[in-house]
Amino acid sequence: MLKPLEHLKIINNRLLLIKLIGHFPRLTWLAMQLARPLYVDHETFLNRTLRYGMMTLGAGKLPPEEVKAYVTGFNAMRENFKRAMQAQKDGVPLVWVQWILSSEIVAAFGARSLNAELLNVFGNVVGWEAPSKLIAEAEAIGVPVEYCSALKTSIGAYVLGQTPEPDLIVRASQPCDTSISSYQIMEYLTGAPAFTFDAPYWKDEPSFDYYEKVMWDFVAFMEHHLGRKIDWDKLREIINNVNDFNFYLHEVTEMMRATPCPCSMITLLMQWVMREITIGDPAITASAKEVYDVVKARYEKGEGIVKKEKIRVIWWNPPFAFFTYIFKWMEHQFGAVVVNDFIGQCQMPQIDTSSNESMIRDLAKSHLYLAMGRQCHGPVEYITDELKRALEAFNADCIIFAGHNGCQHGWAIGRIFKDICKKAKLPVLILNADIMDQRHMPEKEIMREITEFFRSTGLA
Amino acid sequence: MNILDIIQQSAGKTLNDYLMTAKASGQRIMGYFCAYVPEEIIHAAGYVPYRMRAVQSSGTTLGDTWFSSINCTFVRHVFDKVLRHDFDFLDGIIFSNGCDHLRRVYDNWRYAGVQTPFLHMFITPHVINDNANRQYLHECLNLKEVLEKHSGITISDQALKNSVRLYNRKRSLLNELYELRKAKAIPIKGSEFLSLMLTVTAVPVENAIEILEQVLIEIKGRDTTRPGDVRIFMAAGHMEEIDHLELLEGCGAAIAGDNLCMGLRHFDGQADETGDALAALADRYLNHMSCPRMINDFQRRLDHVKQTFKDYAIDAVILEKMKFCDLWGGEAFIWRNELKKTDIPILVLERELYGGSTGQIRTRLQAFFEQVRNRQVHDDFVQAAGKIYRLK
Repeated sequence: MLKPLEHLKIINNRLLLIKLIGHFPRLTWLAMQLARPLYVDHETFLNRTLRYGMMTLGAGKLPPEEVKAYVTGFNAMRENFKRAMQAQKDGVPLVWVQWILSSEIVAAFGARSLNAELLNVFGNVVGWEAPSKLIAEAEAIGVPVEYCSALKTSIGAYVLGQTPEPDLIVRASQPCDTSISSYQIMEYLTGAPAFTFDAPYWKDEPSFDYYEKVMWDFVAFMEHHLGRKIDWDKLREIINNVNDFNFYLHEVTEMMRATPCPCSMITLLMQWVMREITIGDPAITASAKEVYDVVKARYEKGEGIVKKEKIRVIWWNPPFAFFTYIFKWMEHQFGAVVVNDFIGQCQMPQIDTSSNESMIRDLAKSHLYLAMGRQCHGPVEYITDELKRALEAFNADCIIFAGHNGCQHGWAIGRIFKDICKKAKLPVLILNADIMDQRHMPEKEIMREITEFFRSTGLA
Repeated sequence: MNILDIIQQSAGKTLNDYLMTAKASGQRIMGYFCAYVPEEIIHAAGYVPYRMRAVQSSGTTLGDTWFSSINCTFVRHVFDKVLRHDFDFLDGIIFSNGCDHLRRVYDNWRYAGVQTPFLHMFITPHVINDNANRQYLHECLNLKEVLEKHSGITISDQALKNSVRLYNRKRSLLNELYELRKAKAIPIKGSEFLSLMLTVTAVPVENAIEILEQVLIEIKGRDTTRPGDVRIFMAAGHMEEIDHLELLEGCGAAIAGDNLCMGLRHFDGQADETGDALAALADRYLNHMSCPRMINDFQRRLDHVKQTFKDYAIDAVILEKMKFCDLWGGEAFIWRNELKKTDIPILVLERELYGGSTGQIRTRLQAFFEQVRNRQVHDDFVQAAGKIYRLK
């Protein structure tokens, strides 16, 4: 029987630990290197609540200067979780912001935001089976088994008391039907007033016009429910941070075209997670700057993230939340670097802060460029054009498609995806897995399939 | 042959006799996919709107080469038929973002190189509010323009108003028929009503009106119920398997109300004939009884089933979802929890389109109906719009 918010408390404790050891990044890096035999191979009773964190921090394979950047961002996330848990006690409204959206407006109202999907990723801190148990709980109460597991985790977490009660919910009509459907269940279960960001299908001016109006409606919704006005100066300050954050990550994304590739994809992905949790926070912008500085220095020296880059990989579809170490493992084991992916690469447009109107317009527009939303809210070309551009620009040797069980619209275009890969004459590995639930395909099996793939195609 | 036999025959065909006659006389036919696509605009552009279906499907073998095993069987069957050239008689297709499976039909259709002269994606917002209403109106204008451009004609206001008038007439006749199911003696079976829906969504609207008028005369004074029948409210997404409803009826169901694509959602609400026709259409289509794709409307759907339960003397609710339909899966969760609170019996069935499993379904239905019957006292004096008499 779980105690209320037990998972979140454990996660916060572990993040606190990272904060403490983060003062000594080189020592942390060395300790993780030396202790590798104790945790890298598999989870045990002893390493259960430490392993995921250490693996995400590269298990001693991520340079210390990057570890430092991670720690800066992790501290900001820890603060977000802590503030969310205390919101009720502090009398501050807590707004659940769906992972496909962004929380700038919520912060500009002085409310606290919580990404209700956070346990998809951070649940693994508690142990590998924690997200699976949340999924099983959701299924046990009647949530459709064919839902995307990302949302099943959120429902399971809520009914097991692992997510703080929301005062308001902000949800989206993209990227998929699970998103549309599950957030109706969330509204029903929590009873909290919900606002829907109804994403247009196209990315054209009339669609941006519509979405801009949706953003204004959201401001009105917040004003109505919170009984206060938006603080425009605060929003401007937040957006300036967002613009800086996006600039750094956009630059890193571009630098990853270089051979050798100067950055590990897990670093960009972790930045994306930080964005998901607490965008606009100066601390995560600082983290992005640290990453940028480190990667730029490597890029200018012509250094890669691995000493000898042998394979350049495009990773399509979201990564495995439970196996963040996969990228470092591929680098370490095969000299295989993921140079471009579906989620980590940053394509966010800059937001014009010259007026309140321009901020709202561009903020709405930028929401349509957030990872996954950017590709999935419209026709297949929003996915395939991006893939084609990546194939042209990143000099890849192969593609790994992390097939996700509940992604019905994604699998529906499998034939189109395969045809593009065939035309590009690149080997493709299609993994039939679940990105949140490793009961479908565990770490070992993923590693085995990738190993077989590299060997059978002559890449390794 | 009486009219009910004719509609049953028409419903079972991809291309029915009415449509063949229309085609032979030079009328063009436009396929469309969802209850949120405004037929009136298609009609005003000189096309016969044709609601896409998978009847006479021989399987999903070809469809499966484009869609995956976790896509719903409706799109797989339809796409199979597309690749077998069953829909070559269509002069165009209007797709919809009704759901994830459906929106990918638009993508695969284009990539599979199917030669259809006109393809258009019609976008319906996922919410119901003023902003969405304006956006839907914008979509209607866009549809009108692309149809005009493609056909080289101008859709006049008068033509549009005429279409609205005709479709309002069709909807009001369907509503009249639907409301007859309030009576204790239900004059038209659920399976017959589905046949009727399949027919009137695949024939010229003028024919549809004639058919409906004849059906209303034909069924006057009819009673299709049997003693001990359980009055059912059906909710589902796309449903076109007449034999499936016959199976339900065979087990003792009398379908008295629904929230189906090929049911109430098609004819609920009228378009205002007095003002701007496109604005009236936007208003009608966005606000008719919704399906679970509309995020901010589940409370209205719940209220509707509860109200119908009272008004139509419903005994139990059957909610059917097609395998891999997230939208109806989530709706089932909410209904199951909510109807339990109000003591309304509900059975959630999962099925594949033309998926068989009749034995399994029959067993589940029989058990459910037995449960429902055990809860109630049959009373010949139950009023049509009245109360359910329960054992204390």
